[in-house]
Amino acid sequence: MMELVSLTKSYDGVSVVKDVSLTVENDEYLTILGPSGSGKSTLLRVIAGLEWPESGTVFLDGLDIGDQLPHVRGLGFVQQKYALFPHLTIFENVAFGLRNRQTDPLRDENEVRRRTLDMLHLVGLDDLGGRMVGQISGGQKQRVSLARTLVAEPKICLLDEPLGALDANLRERMTVELRRIREALGVTFVHATGNEAEAMAMGDRMVVLDNGRSLQIGSPDQIYDLPASVQVARSLNAYNVMAGDTREGVFYHIGHPLPLPPGILDARYYAVRFGSLSILEAGGKADASDGSIEAAFIASEFVGSRMVYFFRDDHGDILEVEQHLSRSDPLDFSLGERRMLAWPVAEVLAFDAAGDLIAGTSRGIAA
Amino acid sequence: MSNTAITEQAPINSATRGNQHGLLRGKRHYLLLAPGVFWMLVFLVLPLLMMVYVSFWTQSTFAVSPDLTIKSWVAFFSSDTYFGALIRTLRIWLTVLALTLVIGYPTALFIGQFVRNKNTQTVLLVTCVVPFWTSFLIRVLAWRPMLGKEGAINILLQKFGITSQPIEVLLFTELSVVIGMVQIYVVFMVGPIAFMLARIDESLIEAARDLGASAWTIFRKIILPLSMPGVVVGAIFVSVMVLGEFATASALSGRKVNLLGNIILTQVGSLKWAFAAVIGVVLTVVMAIVITGLLRVVNLRREL
Amino acid sequence: MHQLTSLKWILGFYTALFIVFLYGPFLVMGIISFQQGPEGGPQFPIIEWSTFWYKHVMGFAPPSRVAPLPVGEALFRSLTLAFATMIVSTVLGTMTAQAFRTQFKGSGFVFYLVVLGMMVPGILLGLGMALVSDQLGIARTWWGTTFVLHVVYTFPFAFLVMLAIFNRFDSSVEEASWTLGVSPARTFRKVTFPMIFPGVLSAMLFAFTLSYDEFPRTLFTAAGDVTMPIAIYGTFSVEIHPNLFAFGVLTTLFSLALLTVYAILMAMSVRRSQARSSGIQEEIA
Repeated sequence: MMELVSLTKSYDGVSVVKDVSLTVENDEYLTILGPSGSGKSTLLRVIAGLEWPESGTVFLDGLDIGDQLPHVRGLGFVQQKYALFPHLTIFENVAFGLRNRQTDPLRDENEVRRRTLDMLHLVGLDDLGGRMVGQISGGQKQRVSLARTLVAEPKICLLDEPLGALDANLRERMTVELRRIREALGVTFVHATGNEAEAMAMGDRMVVLDNGRSLQIGSPDQIYDLPASVQVARSLNAYNVMAGDTREGVFYHIGHPLPLPPGILDARYYAVRFGSLSILEAGGKADASDGSIEAAFIASEFVGSRMVYFFRDDHGDILEVEQHLSRSDPLDFSLGERRMLAWPVAEVLAFDAAGDLIAGTSRGIAA
Repeated sequence: MSNTAITEQAPINSATRGNQHGLLRGKRHYLLLAPGVFWMLVFLVLPLLMMVYVSFWTQSTFAVSPDLTIKSWVAFFSSDTYFGALIRTLRIWLTVLALTLVIGYPTALFIGQFVRNKNTQTVLLVTCVVPFWTSFLIRVLAWRPMLGKEGAINILLQKFGITSQPIEVLLFTELSVVIGMVQIYVVFMVGPIAFMLARIDESLIEAARDLGASAWTIFRKIILPLSMPGVVVGAIFVSVMVLGEFATASALSGRKVNLLGNIILTQVGSLKWAFAAVIGVVLTVVMAIVITGLLRVVNLRREL
Repeated sequence: MHQLTSLKWILGFYTALFIVFLYGPFLVMGIISFQQGPEGGPQFPIIEWSTFWYKHVMGFAPPSRVAPLPVGEALFRSLTLAFATMIVSTVLGTMTAQAFRTQFKGSGFVFYLVVLGMMVPGILLGLGMALVSDQLGIARTWWGTTFVLHVVYTFPFAFLVMLAIFNRFDSSVEEASWTLGVSPARTFRKVTFPMIFPGVLSAMLFAFTLSYDEFPRTLFTAAGDVTMPIAIYGTFSVEIHPNLFAFGVLTTLFSLALLTVYAILMAMSVRRSQARSSGIQEEIA
């Protein structure tokens, strides 16, 4: 178990990590979601001991490791750009830590060989041990980097955007692989990513980080269903967020009235999930009880098994509509075609002026 | 090697937590710097300061005594011989600098811009550097049988009927000193310029050509400005070496051309330390002006 | 376009001339080294082709009025000095460049202090050092006063080479090694050093060459013990003989042989790492 206690780090007076406290359980997959510049890389580097925090510390199994150098912390760290040793073969890269670590280096070459080959097998690189780093692909480098870290059996493995440099296809395959490898070894993963789909698909729990602050911690489902703040809703990239104000229980987005669930009087942000929107037939009218807005079609794209349509409302805000292809066939619109977008009021989340979720909006799910 | 200074496992208390990245934080790099800085202060700065100090000492016939005086300085500036040597040194320096630039630039242009194959580039540059593996002094002396009255050049010129009489001014004149220096130092001009030229992005030149720029415009507007750092670095190299020269002059001028360096040498030979120090300081000042001037044009640290 | 091709030819021809200019004295040196001896002087025409001067350099020639070059002792001193200078300046250069990998106050001062070492003309430094040792009563020796000045001269070159190497060095591999539990000292040995080794090698080559051929700094600081360049310089004042040229040809061949060995070693280390990798591949398969 690892505890981060109010870690704070700044560069030249600009704080990058602000008062982050967090508990990482044993044998869990924790993802840290944050856009670039949110401080997630710095946070991992502070945990690994590669950067020194201004204040706060890290406890590992009850022991304060905040003053230790990286090589005695016993944490694994997989870097975004792999950082493989270019002068060594793949096999030697993986065996490097076993042979050279300060604590308990392996002297028995047979043991080194056995464990290295086992690990290469686990990550699916059985035949590549003899290659040099320059002779393998990006995806393979990613696996070597992982194998090199995991072969030492660290208690906790930190991964800094491990899939960031891979193309979409490989990314998808590696998400499955990473989970499988983690479960096979029972090691804790702390995985930082800027991709919300990755964070939600892979994490047992996830942390949403923005501007150096931890905004919400919870299971991906919890966070997805009930983002604690409008920033979280935005960083999930799953909500249409509209700004406005509330008068007598009705939300006005630039003068356009939108219905709110009962009892909400002070909403300043109005959020509906992409998947909750439906596109009405041309000239169609929305149910009186539903929320609706008219918008012009801009573009559409396939995202895996889903279709995403982009519209622009009269105020210039982009609205996204997501449809599962299992439920309907892809639709065709011409550019600029105006359609009514509608959603059930039960799907609406409202946030107050501070950006916090207003209790009582439950989207029909028990909060 | 160098990180023996990084003690292993030393616990870092919060006071030494700097904002440097990684392990090289806090004050540790001062340990890495200390030996080099110490070496330069003691063996470079101290001797130079000593030279300035001694230049104000009193010179008697065969000894110096630490009674401060400006006699040696007065003697330097009131003597035609010595002041003449300063002027001569500056003249030869400027001539050699100009010639190495004019002669070296086209070669650098060819190697850096017209040869696009990296291997050929390397081979050409190595070819230019190979002569450096012969002792500098022997290379200088080899000019004697080249330039002499019965030297290779006169033999060739007469054989092809270009001249009927051997040209005598070739050796043991200022000309021979200049020829020798240019040949020895021109490579220091070619190297940096060729390096900068080879770094120019080819697409830049292609783009200019697509926009209809003539070869001359491309040279003036793109190639020349981008090669300037190379020219400056080359000029620094050549200046440093030519200003401190004395061997080429004494080997190829038959002791007729005396540079400041030669005078230092003869003064030391006759134990005139204070006087030698004065000339040393003058040379240092000239040098400092030249180098600071050149460094204004280009930031050496950034070009690395 | 047409205009450029002709320009290319003109410049190519010019470059050929340039190389002739560089090598001309060389050629002459080679020819005259085969001058007849001991009467033949260092000039044309060749009286009779002979290898007399080569024998003279090696000490096989019968005694004559031409004094032999002090090849044995002077060469030994020069090589020892160059070797020691190479080691010390490479270590200093690597350490200083390593320190420059982090920002620190006064880095500009240190940078120019070090670079000053290659910019101050040798004769000034030699003079200054002679004055210092004279005043402090330190004996001037080739392994003492001369050696420290040679390092002052070559250390900046080693420093600049290593600085350029470290500028292109990705320190994330070092971090990777630390997080694998490897201590900083061992990381330097096992990761950093092998990766910067080509740079270290060229820094060493630079330092050795510069020191081996150095002479204005040596002239004032080595007292009576001559190094090879000083021995050659000593012949300036008296008559020169073709034995110098024979010596020049021999040392050039020797240097070229060294350079070839260096090139072969580099090529071999590249090939060995490739061979080793394919070897392991078979072993695993």
